[in-house]
Amino acid sequence: MKRKAKRKTDTKLAAVLLFPSIFLILLLVAYPMLSNIQISFFEQSINPNLDPTFIGFENYKQILTDEVFLKSLGITFLYTLLTVVGSTVVGLAVAIFFNRPFKFRKISRSLIIASYVAPSISLVFAWKYMFNNNYGIVNYLTVDVLHLFDQAPLWFDRPASSFVLVVIFAIWRYFPYAFISFLAILQTIDNTLYEAAEIDGASAWEKFKVVTLPAIMPVLVIVVTLRAIWMFYMFEDVYLLTNQVNTLGIYLYETAFAFNDLGKAASISVILFIILFAVILLMRKRVNADGNG
Amino acid sequence: MASSKKEKMTRKILFYIGLAFVLLVSLFPFFIMLMVSLKNSAEAIAQVPTLLPRQWTIEHYLDIFNPVLFPYITYFNNSLIVSLIVAAISVLFSIFGAYALSKLKFFGRTTINSSFYVVYMFSGLLLVVPLFKIISSLGLYNTRTALVITLIVQTLPAAIYMLKSYFDTIPDDLEEAAMIDGLNRVQIIFYIIIPLSISGIISVFVYSFMIAWNDFLFASIFLSSSENFTLPIGLNALFSTPDYVWGRMMAASIVTALPVVIMYGITERFIKGGATEGGVKG
Repeated sequence: MKRKAKRKTDTKLAAVLLFPSIFLILLLVAYPMLSNIQISFFEQSINPNLDPTFIGFENYKQILTDEVFLKSLGITFLYTLLTVVGSTVVGLAVAIFFNRPFKFRKISRSLIIASYVAPSISLVFAWKYMFNNNYGIVNYLTVDVLHLFDQAPLWFDRPASSFVLVVIFAIWRYFPYAFISFLAILQTIDNTLYEAAEIDGASAWEKFKVVTLPAIMPVLVIVVTLRAIWMFYMFEDVYLLTNQVNTLGIYLYETAFAFNDLGKAASISVILFIILFAVILLMRKRVNADGNG
Repeated sequence: MASSKKEKMTRKILFYIGLAFVLLVSLFPFFIMLMVSLKNSAEAIAQVPTLLPRQWTIEHYLDIFNPVLFPYITYFNNSLIVSLIVAAISVLFSIFGAYALSKLKFFGRTTINSSFYVVYMFSGLLLVVPLFKIISSLGLYNTRTALVITLIVQTLPAAIYMLKSYFDTIPDDLEEAAMIDGLNRVQIIFYIIIPLSISGIISVFVYSFMIAWNDFLFASIFLSSSENFTLPIGLNALFSTPDYVWGRMMAASIVTALPVVIMYGITERFIKGGATEGGVKG
């Protein structure tokens, strides 16, 4: 009897304590998500005085047959793939490298994280300056010093070179995220496991495969999943760096706020959401099937 | 013996060369930023770039803090106000929410917990259209309030997740003992839980502050007049004008990055388990 009474007060208190968070999330995440679906069936301009017109699946039809959208989808998948693989591999390599005692370890760790926590806008200015066609140090080094190119590539003004640039930028910026995640788990691995493998004559790669990889697997799955999701709808890094790489994030933003077509933008959001949801489900299944989930 | 010592030494040297390389790659753009901010304008656009300024100058730092030349202080204040409010509210709500999810037993706890995690993975980008409509219909367009409200939703789920894993490590015995001493649940939160998890709370504060400070997307959608601009959109707007000065932009970039980099550097060691337990989104 007493137990039951206690549980009741728990529920009440929990409701009170969670109310502000749940209220905000329902109002500003759940409701907008559903609202997206509704808006996607209308033709709607940004001007609130103009009435929206119901047009059924017209927005979806237009997007799914739009070459720009399909191309942008391809660019986004490639961007996500390259940046996730790149930042995870570099982050893991640096974490393994750091997984030993040395002087300046703490300070080095904090310094490496700087690119990850600084605002995009600051980093973008530095990169724009370094890759400037006339006086940037990268062009100076690659053309005048190392002669890798005859002529400086117009980094920000061509789709291909801009794409390379945004990928390198993202790997540089986000590897610290993988690095800190992996470093934490690497420190929990028992050193005797490595010693045992060494006695068995395991090579460095074998030690990695047999000892390190299984131990870091749970973190690896989380890092790759989260990073993939965030890169998939990356907006500001690409938008601020160049106008030559049309990822889905930019396509969505421009449809809404440059072309003022909110209905179409909403239907893009819905499509993105469906793609992401499918990817998450697939990944989960895959992970569980491999027995690592 | 001597050769193994030598080998050890070589290994050590190789390690430090590797370390220097990693740090060089990570920090080079910051170094460039700093050096350009200390060069005069002609030197910044010299055809043959130099690493160090030939003539050191702090004029660009003076310029950005001169309201006649550049509304940097206005942007800085807006960013500071918005970020402090977001961080404070985020901390307050997440303490309550995380306490409920960690210590109270009630129906739907697991579902709520995993919903927060799903929302944490969400991007604001998917919600820009309806959020824009909601903010406009509430009459909050072009207000800092709009930014504060929408940013709290960006920070809150991760904040709850981070604090929950922190509270989970506090043993229940402690609470039971406190109850026997006559404290109620709310008193326990303030007298026991908060003091014991102060470093976790600071981490959540820094995390939320940083997300708000760095935000470009929501600020660019909700703010339209310069007096409300936060630093990221303010700086970007200036970059788009033809009369930008590199030194000034770099000085502004440094001063903009500094608060979050310093805060994060100081509190980074508090963040247990690295990024996987509610890492910084972005």
